[in-house]
Amino acid sequence: MLNTLDSAAGWVQENALVPMLWQFGLIQWEEVSQGWAVFAIYGAVQVLATYAICVPLEMWRPVERWPDVRAVATDMIYTLISRVGILPLVTFVLFYQVQVELTGFVVDHGWVQPTLERFAPVLLGHPLLVFCLYAVILDFSDYWRHRLSHAYGWWWALHSLHHAQRQMTFWSDDRNHILDDIIAALWFGTVATLIGVPPLQFPILVLVLRFLESLSHANARVWFGWLGERLLVSPRFHRAHHGVLGAGCRSANYGAILPIWDIMFGTADFSREFVPTGDPTGSEALASGGYFEQQWAGVRRFAGALAPHRQSSRMTAGSNPR
Amino acid sequence: MPQADVKGGLAFVINSAQASIDLIDVATRQRVRRIPVLREPHHMALTPDHRSLVIGDTGANELLFLDPLTGELQRRVPVSDPYQFGYSPDGKWLVVNGLLRNQVDIYDAASMRLSSRVPIASMPSHENFSPDSKIVYVTLQSANSIAAIDVGSGNIIWKAVVGPVPAGVLWHRGKLLVGVMGADYVAVVDPATGRVERRVHTGKGAHVLFVPHDGAAIYVTNRVDGSIVGLDPETLAETRRFHIPGGPDDMDFAPDGKIWVTLRWEHSVAVVNPETGAFETLQTGRSPHGIWLNTHDTLPAPVKVSTR
Repeated sequence: MLNTLDSAAGWVQENALVPMLWQFGLIQWEEVSQGWAVFAIYGAVQVLATYAICVPLEMWRPVERWPDVRAVATDMIYTLISRVGILPLVTFVLFYQVQVELTGFVVDHGWVQPTLERFAPVLLGHPLLVFCLYAVILDFSDYWRHRLSHAYGWWWALHSLHHAQRQMTFWSDDRNHILDDIIAALWFGTVATLIGVPPLQFPILVLVLRFLESLSHANARVWFGWLGERLLVSPRFHRAHHGVLGAGCRSANYGAILPIWDIMFGTADFSREFVPTGDPTGSEALASGGYFEQQWAGVRRFAGALAPHRQSSRMTAGSNPR
Repeated sequence: MPQADVKGGLAFVINSAQASIDLIDVATRQRVRRIPVLREPHHMALTPDHRSLVIGDTGANELLFLDPLTGELQRRVPVSDPYQFGYSPDGKWLVVNGLLRNQVDIYDAASMRLSSRVPIASMPSHENFSPDSKIVYVTLQSANSIAAIDVGSGNIIWKAVVGPVPAGVLWHRGKLLVGVMGADYVAVVDPATGRVERRVHTGKGAHVLFVPHDGAAIYVTNRVDGSIVGLDPETLAETRRFHIPGGPDDMDFAPDGKIWVTLRWEHSVAVVNPETGAFETLQTGRSPHGIWLNTHDTLPAPVKVSTR
């Protein structure tokens, strides 16, 4: 399967991207475009696989049924942009260049980038184990990014777009404000640069992790049992995070893949059943607008949060209904 | 580490997008080992004393020194953005091009002490030396130029436009041959001035140039066209053309005369019969780039320079 996907990426590169780059005098970027082709192909497969698994799940045991699913269609656009479209290209190009500059700079000053393999050379021959360790570190980092995005008013104003969806499905994972995405990319990029994450070495595992994140948003009455709920974020666990009473700084269950961080830092809540989702404090445009309406509503809410009349950018506990 | 059990020597293939090096038995065409590296390796060079094969892990900012017979890791040396690199013919210098950091670093090969850093815009890519080792010629992909750099001082002697996105450069009979990837030709350049004297059309995406052991041809890979073209070394007239799709890039030559060429987008190596153009492909890791066969019996004599 991997060979097939790599071959498909190679075909896209050879027959579409490279002729285009050559035609426009940009052939020097063909190695970067090859990286993007791999990302896009694996992203497309990930979307298809998620669709094939999550749609039957949502039909089999839906938490909610809606007569009108137009709001879900908007989430599909987010997914396609994020996983097979422009975002991976921008992220890859920028991230790659920043990483080259930063790591080259530190090497020039006699300090070698602290990769896990350098810290523990025994890991060098075990790439799968290395990837899993990197995944744990990044998941831990993402827990704090996500938690802080609920704690600061200006950040929550952006992140609330993700929470505004009342018809949450597996498509909702990528429903983010573009500024929130940029912050997340910078956050990820900084941590990844510090620990030296190899972006293209393990695309199939990245695919699995992204699938788990999509699954956690599924409109499916699915949970993993008492122990499983504590090992891996389930749709039930993550739905509690999206609950109408949990919007803002008093939410729970911030983890994306591993619930252990919520357990360790006292934000885990295993008690809630399959609660309704959404953010009652946000505008209707954030919930049911089209892509651009949602983005604009996010900007307005962000500007409002930054306005001088706000006493503090840090939200106080209880400032949102629970 | 156990020595690879091989019959006909090893091909070292760098999987640039899979952070690994494949060791392939040249006789059986079977992969015998896959060596993991840290991030994103691209190119390699044999040390002047032939004791080490140096792999540049560009993304990890390090050079890995391997035993060229077995692939055993000998040591690692931190180096900034090592994309293309090569030793001067006299073995004194190691010149490392930092493609994305716009720098050419000149090291004393024996001590690995940085002699000079040449900031240069932009995207310094491939390189080759004058036979007297005094000048290194570096193609600048985003400046459409080639630069001549005095290796001893690090001064830029001249810089000249040769065509869009120049790549491989080969010193050939007193001239420089430069693959012009953004066009479809090899530029014949005067090494004294940088003036383009002639254009030899080979195919879209003319990239790198290689000479087999017998010197009977110059082979050019055309990455966009998906072909390899053989040129007469005397006249530079086209003598043969092979259609090899998949983004042919670097190549080396087996004792039986066959051409081993990496296919970047097909994740394989093609083994091409230069007489007939027939080829078979061997699966590798993702985006194979540099390739070297340790079967050479016509290497230049080792230069006795310690590379501790």
